[in-house]
Amino acid sequence: MHGWGRRPPAVRSAHRRGTPGRTVSRVVAVEPVGSPGGDCGSADVAALIPLVRRIVASRVPDPATADDLVQETLTRVLAAAGRVEPGMLEPYAIVTARNVVTSMWRDQDRQRRHQHRVVDLRPPEAPDEDVLAREDRAAVAEALTRLSDRERSTLLAHEVSGQDTRALAAELGSTAGAVAAQLNRTRARLRVEYLLVSERVEPPTERCRPVLLAISGGDRRRQREVDAARHLLECDLCARLSEPLVGRGRSRDDAVRVAVRTDADVVAARQAAREVATRLGFSTTEVTLIATAVSEITRNIVRFAESGEVVVAELQEPRKGISIVARDAGPGIADVEQALQDGYSTYQGLGLGLPGARRLMDEFAVVSEIDRGTTVTMTKWRGET
Amino acid sequence: MNGGPRLFSILRQGPYLIASIHTALDDSQLVRFQQDLVERIGSDRARGVVIDVAALDVLDSFASRTLRDIGEMARLRGAVTVIVGIQPDVAFAMVELGMDTGRVVTALDLEEGLAELDSHVTAPPAPRT
Ligand SMILES: [Zn+2]
Repeated sequence: MHGWGRRPPAVRSAHRRGTPGRTVSRVVAVEPVGSPGGDCGSADVAALIPLVRRIVASRVPDPATADDLVQETLTRVLAAAGRVEPGMLEPYAIVTARNVVTSMWRDQDRQRRHQHRVVDLRPPEAPDEDVLAREDRAAVAEALTRLSDRERSTLLAHEVSGQDTRALAAELGSTAGAVAAQLNRTRARLRVEYLLVSERVEPPTERCRPVLLAISGGDRRRQREVDAARHLLECDLCARLSEPLVGRGRSRDDAVRVAVRTDADVVAARQAAREVATRLGFSTTEVTLIATAVSEITRNIVRFAESGEVVVAELQEPRKGISIVARDAGPGIADVEQALQDGYSTYQGLGLGLPGARRLMDEFAVVSEIDRGTTVTMTKWRGET
Repeated sequence: MNGGPRLFSILRQGPYLIASIHTALDDSQLVRFQQDLVERIGSDRARGVVIDVAALDVLDSFASRTLRDIGEMARLRGAVTVIVGIQPDVAFAMVELGMDTGRVVTALDLEEGLAELDSHVTAPPAPRT
């Protein structure tokens, strides 16, 4: 739309199949450096774009809304790519696309129902939130009773009494590493049980719990063993629960959103990232690295798209980290791979600053569609303490 | 165009200019800083410039390039540029990012920066004001 979304013919032909018309999709996976999830299968996400688009388009008639939902879906799938078995990405994308559409209808419906409240000046959400918090505590308590005694006491000693893994290991006659791994498994189980309690459901089949557990723990080998991909397509309950379980970027409550239009917003975005990173306990050096990376990718939005947003979120699983998603509805990058090459990005070119930002972060991925927009997702994990 | 507080100051000290950045600057503010400073180098016939960047939160690719450009433009106008106050964290991020200040000299603080200028500006400072 701005005239420089021109694409090299090779890319065009390579990706034309299945997407008649204008769109060229390009995704590049950048292998996460020292990430716990192993290879992030975001190259595979590229192949999923036509599928996602089809699912969304068949449910949402308005093209602009559909575009937004496709982007939202891709962002979530990309964020999850490190934690799910590559063969599971397709079912996961299908499930996610459906969920994204459903939650949009739900939001619209809620807005419609609450429209009359707009004139009511009292803070409308406060009582609901209180009920929610109480129900939430009850659900956690109930979920805790479903753990084994040993699991529960170790988890509580760590989370509530603040005993570190080394002290716990000495007490249990184990190693700190083994205790940490056990704690992660327990948390994964707790998340599953919590969701089941708060949704007031019992899993319909015997395979549900093992599948949910494998997804919750981000255990890709286990996901393969229990054939989680197939189960997600067959089981509505697990399809619904799998998304919150993947968990990455799910801590939306802690997320800070910065709308980006002008140069000043670049400063605002990097300061938001700085605050979140500091709160998470990153060292001042790491905080500066993160702020610098945010500065680089946010500048792209200002230069090449009319507007966009940067969302900074805290990650708790599989360990503490910061996730940054920069999204715009601009012209897109024709050749992401090339934009990520050093020396390609000039101040006239798209993809400015991408290689630099990539070097500063642990995980880095770009999804771009010509004429539809670009989403950069990057993560930095906190070192073990 | 923006009526906010001054985001940087440029002071004259003998044959030198001392330019201090007071806060995090966005790209357009950096460009404005560059324009003002280069203009002052000409109008003041400065022989050297110290740029204090201690207040900058990051030196990303744009800021690094801007500083480098200032150095080049100053050189063309016969002035030496020294950058002072790059914080250790910021310096580390610059290295990781693959940026540097090019041929522009850096020094720890203002005092060292001025000493650096003295050593570079070999000819005696012009007596005229
Ligand atoms: Zn199931």
